[in-house]
Amino acid sequence: MVKSTSYLFFFISFGNFLSVYFIFQNDLRNDGRSKQDYRPIELELDIVTHANGSARVRLANTDILVGVKTEIDVPTSNRPEEGKIEFFVDCSANATPEFEGKGGQDLATEIGNYLGSSFASPLSFDLKPLCILKGVQCWKLYVDILILECGGNLFDAVSLAVKAALYNTMVPRVETVAMDGGNVDLQLSGDPFDCWRLDITNIPCLVTLTKIGEHLIVDPTAEEEECSMASLVVAVTESGRINSLCKTSVGSLHPQTLTDALKVGVEVGVGLNKALNEALGREEKRLQSNKPERFGFLK
Amino acid sequence: MPTDNRRIQGPEISTPYCVFGSSTENEDEDGCFKSTDPLSSTRKDGRALLEHRKIYMKTGVVSQAKGSAYIELNNTKVICSVFDPREIPNRVEYSQHGELFCVLKFAPFSCTTRRSHQQDAEEKELSLNLKRALEPAVCRHEFPNFQVDIYVLILESDGGSLAASITCAGLALADAHVPMYDLVTAASLGVAGDVLMKDPSEEEEKLCSQHFERSNLNHGLITVSLMGAHTQITQVWQTGSMTTTCVSESLTHLIQSCEETYPIAQRCLVKSVVDTISKKKVPEQS
Amino acid sequence: MDQETLVCVPGQRLSIADKNHLSGRGTYERLGYIYATLAGVVKIEKQDKASLIEVRSSNEQSIVPAPGDIVTAKVTIVKQRFCKCIIKCIGDTVLSRPYRGILRKEDVRATEKDKVEMIKCFRPGDIILARVLPMTEVHSYQLSTAEDELGVVIADSETGTSMVPISWTEMQCPKTHIKELRKVAKVIPERLGSHIVI
Repeated sequence: MVKSTSYLFFFISFGNFLSVYFIFQNDLRNDGRSKQDYRPIELELDIVTHANGSARVRLANTDILVGVKTEIDVPTSNRPEEGKIEFFVDCSANATPEFEGKGGQDLATEIGNYLGSSFASPLSFDLKPLCILKGVQCWKLYVDILILECGGNLFDAVSLAVKAALYNTMVPRVETVAMDGGNVDLQLSGDPFDCWRLDITNIPCLVTLTKIGEHLIVDPTAEEEECSMASLVVAVTESGRINSLCKTSVGSLHPQTLTDALKVGVEVGVGLNKALNEALGREEKRLQSNKPERFGFLK
Repeated sequence: MPTDNRRIQGPEISTPYCVFGSSTENEDEDGCFKSTDPLSSTRKDGRALLEHRKIYMKTGVVSQAKGSAYIELNNTKVICSVFDPREIPNRVEYSQHGELFCVLKFAPFSCTTRRSHQQDAEEKELSLNLKRALEPAVCRHEFPNFQVDIYVLILESDGGSLAASITCAGLALADAHVPMYDLVTAASLGVAGDVLMKDPSEEEEKLCSQHFERSNLNHGLITVSLMGAHTQITQVWQTGSMTTTCVSESLTHLIQSCEETYPIAQRCLVKSVVDTISKKKVPEQS
Repeated sequence: MDQETLVCVPGQRLSIADKNHLSGRGTYERLGYIYATLAGVVKIEKQDKASLIEVRSSNEQSIVPAPGDIVTAKVTIVKQRFCKCIIKCIGDTVLSRPYRGILRKEDVRATEKDKVEMIKCFRPGDIILARVLPMTEVHSYQLSTAEDELGVVIADSETGTSMVPISWTEMQCPKTHIKELRKVAKVIPERLGSHIVI
């Protein structure tokens, strides 16, 4: 029996850039945005042929590439009915010279940990459908995040890319499962397009709120991040629930600031989720129209 | 991290036996959840829902360290030592602010399942949270280019380990006479449905991290650390899924708990200062 | 304990910050008040009209050398252009962890800088007093002895006995009467009296 199985998909994708804009009314920032504006976001799905799902998000100068690989694993003994998901962040020196050597490692762990904790609740991402046979076999999703360019606000960009990549992920359908003595015999569908999609409705988007002086801003640029003393990352779902909350930089916050920040964060997060979903829908339609024609007698 | 080949790791694949009893345990937990209904407002250990466990704190427990502290919340026991500033290894550029080097470790026997000797992902995450919680409180400009080592060992874990570690490390830093803007105290809170539980135990924490099928109930854990004198939150860490109102309400409770712990930490520190002064006075008189 | 000892802990508000109340060592100012940064004893020093508020820690404080501090250091390596030393004390605080220092040829004395020869000023093992210069390198403190009061305070001769200073450039061994060259510090007795025990 092969322990881990990988599948290849050949989807041809042309660059189609979608922009998401937010316009709120407020005083302006250096680049002409208001306090709660995001920079233009470009989104591309299915750009890595060997991954089960992939996405690229470009948030102004921040460039993130995410690939999802599905493999077969044994469920942990204390959660036999659940699949697994793991996040790996790679801050390569490509992005910025500061990441050279082990420089990016701390940041990578921080982002990885934080994604992990925002996905921890079954209310954000249910791992049960990933179970193939209780206690014996399950799907494991490897979410590999590559930071190609670093232009501030990594958390938000990474979470958008992860959500998009999971939306795009195709998990092969298992046709039959048979127990042969102690071994498991999996029979996978012969058709590479016979897959099921993951439910991403409740996956949160991360919103970073940065405090500069007395102002709370979202989507800070690298320069703005330099200026700030404290920033807060909130994981917000489409329905406006907070699935994780963490302070990420040095510096402290007054409780009132924190409550205010939460309100702003949820408001922005709901909008971000909505915009992402719309963009995903559009991108999906485009991909569908490009789907290769299938031919052959024995389909 | 390189694996330690010299240490005997035990059988490669071994499973703690307690996970196999989980099917019955789950029912128990469900029962525990019902009993923690707001109506019958006592918990398994007899506390009210918004009652903190009793705290014991002591400084100067490790004689070799510059500063040390010990904290006990019923079955959660944490020890922390702080050492003198030292040069940051492998650092080339000049850094204006000193660094805090935090290592949080669970003792192998501290939890129901055995912990490995190497730092795992959870411990790394907690270490980072601990660092973030302490950074705002330390006058880091007083030791540029240096790092202060903070080692936290959780001897026994029964919920609220991070909160206990933060309070303990804050106290140890003050005991080491590292200049600080304020003392840091922390508290944790668990949410299961509409029930808020202050300072949850391990079992209650497990309960809060699960989700029950009664659609869309809040669940999760929050830990907050606070600088009492300036009412500044130094770290907030939430997991699970909650509504904004639930988070805000929890924050209010947590800040209150932190403020309650603050004078205990102060008193503990004053006691240690008075002790050292009187000890110094005795040889002078004789 | 006498009644006047005021014990404080970090973050404790000590007094209002104005013209008459100045924030000294171990304290900081925030929004018009003076707070403590250390656990220890409050000392109030009267200066003219104002009083300087300081906190002295009950034990050895965790400090690192800062520019301008006078430090006691031990010379370890003497080269032509510089010598390396280990900083042992800052003022009268003994450090529990040693820090590295470097003393360049240009900083040995204030005048005739180009005529300085390191070997005629310091030998390994000498105890020197020096002032910390602003930090430029990451891993070592730059020191200076370009003041009359700074330089070698304790030095052993070849026979291993402590030498006695006889001029600002010479020290003599009390046993063999051999003179050795050093950049001798003019020690101010009341501050550093304990250092010159021969």
